[in-house]
Amino acid sequence: MSTAATPAATPADRGLDGGLIIRQLTGILRMELGKNLLGRRAFFTYFLAFAPVPLALFWAVWPGSKEGLQGPNAAAALFAGVFPAYLAVPLYLSALLLFMSLFRAEIMEKSLHYYLLTPIRREVLVVGKYVSALIAITMTFLASTTLLYGITLMPWGLGEASQYLFRDAGLSNLVAYLGIVALGCAGYGAVFLLTGLVFKNPIIPAAVFWGWEAINIFLPTFLKKISVVHYLTSLFPIPILEGPFEIIADPTPVWVAIPGILIFTALVLALAGWKASRMEISYGDD
Amino acid sequence: MSEFTTLPPDTPSTGATAREEAISTSQAPSGSTPPTGTVTFKNVSKFYGEVLGVNRVDLVLESGIIGLVGPNGSGKTTMMNLMTGLLRPSKGRIEVLGVPTSDPIRLFPQVGYCTQWDSFPAGINGYKFVYGYLRVHGYTHAQAEQLAWEALDRVSLRDAAKRKIAGYSKGMRQRVKLAQAISHKPKVLVLDEPLNGLDPMARAEIIAVFQDLAAEGHHVIISSHILHEVDMIADQVVLLTGGYVVAEGEIGGVRTDIEEQPIQVLVRCDKPSLLASKLFESENTVEVALHDDRRGLLVRTKDANAFYLRFNNLVLEHNIRIETVAVADADVRAVYQYLIGTEGEGS
Repeated sequence: MSTAATPAATPADRGLDGGLIIRQLTGILRMELGKNLLGRRAFFTYFLAFAPVPLALFWAVWPGSKEGLQGPNAAAALFAGVFPAYLAVPLYLSALLLFMSLFRAEIMEKSLHYYLLTPIRREVLVVGKYVSALIAITMTFLASTTLLYGITLMPWGLGEASQYLFRDAGLSNLVAYLGIVALGCAGYGAVFLLTGLVFKNPIIPAAVFWGWEAINIFLPTFLKKISVVHYLTSLFPIPILEGPFEIIADPTPVWVAIPGILIFTALVLALAGWKASRMEISYGDD
Repeated sequence: MSEFTTLPPDTPSTGATAREEAISTSQAPSGSTPPTGTVTFKNVSKFYGEVLGVNRVDLVLESGIIGLVGPNGSGKTTMMNLMTGLLRPSKGRIEVLGVPTSDPIRLFPQVGYCTQWDSFPAGINGYKFVYGYLRVHGYTHAQAEQLAWEALDRVSLRDAAKRKIAGYSKGMRQRVKLAQAISHKPKVLVLDEPLNGLDPMARAEIIAVFQDLAAEGHHVIISSHILHEVDMIADQVVLLTGGYVVAEGEIGGVRTDIEEQPIQVLVRCDKPSLLASKLFESENTVEVALHDDRRGLLVRTKDANAFYLRFNNLVLEHNIRIETVAVADADVRAVYQYLIGTEGEGS
């Protein structure tokens, strides 16, 4: 073994280059993906993402499920009507639990300092943790959404469902829903990562934010636009014309809604990076 | 640091005092010559809101093994967290090998920190713990793998490396933390209470590792609330109390004084009565008291080295199962009382 007095040629010795940042991000992803896909914090993501599946299956196998629905198009409209609730409850709660725990849970279990003792910019750490959680939650909810969409078409059998999917607008609608899920994960994720960094008890601000998103449907048009859920529902391939999620406010155009959510996410992450760079660790000890 | 210098303790309200003047004359670099020590504190204060962490520390820690000693709450961990950038000073500036602690990119290739927190990422095994953070340093897979095994070998954990840390003993957890801290071969190693809660065997192993590291040229900074422990390891000590540096210098000057102070050791085991009777036969034992729950004993001895030697022999000879061996606080208070005329409690 070489003597420890001669330090290993450290990657940081070669300066802060793009290659080093990529390797460090890869290192963080290796550590974090395991926790976010297989650790304790992954349980709630899986539970919440797939909790609607048994309900959807029950509806699909129920003999009266097709009553009043004129083919897969009508079922797709039903899916569109339920989808906001899917965004507002399982996806919102999963993002809350996963992204808030990225920093806060490690502060609680006193293991965050291991990261902070490596030659890495805190902003890079924020990005690495965010991306790993985003990969985990997005993969899970994309699978869940696809499954739910497929179950919605089940009562019409393989023939009609295939025709709707591949010859009608079924597949493009599904892609749109998957895109909405990914954007929802990105936007909510950034907000909750920041919340976990700023607040010692992030549950209260998260609940307030949730309340705002939930009552958004009852708010005047101009206030509706100050929410993530408004921009997500604006991207729905099938407009919701009835029910509490009915789009009363003018939907924001796609070319504004998508970059808007992405820019919002980037700004929140920049704020989180700044907050992390100012963070001190003592876990309340001397 | 040359002669051991005891400095009169201050109270936070007294402002600049004789102690500070003594520090400024004995420790602060003269003229405009920049300090060249391993770690440099320049007029550093740290407050947690209204609570004092450390105050007006002007200190140059030279190379070698340096012990930071003080009672619980004296500011040792704050000093260590400050010199590793986990905390930012409220006032002043800290550099390690000329690198400000606010620059993690240049600091952490040179610094390894083994904290006192006995906590790990959930569900991780020893190898992944060391390897994983090496990858975060930016090492490639092959480099990280090699460095991880070297570090684990160094602390004799190769065989247990693929076991989950949650199943490790206290000594093994301490060793795997040490492996993680030394894995990137830092020049400066900061160790916060590394011997806390270890049994004599693990303690001896860990101390041997520290001594090897120092012999290889590492700068080792080690904290303890037990002066006797530091005596075994460090060449120089800095004594802290209530957030102030009250004395610093070579430990040789106080070694004799320390040895005259009885050391108090708490032992929890399955045969306390037998152990007590055997230990009492030793001429260095001042007092042995059985704990009320009959599962432990408190031993006061005049010669710690002789005590540990006899203790180890008795444990092996009589097949005694040891749960805990801990040096009690009382001895360091006695030394504080001797050195600075106060009990050294976090005042």
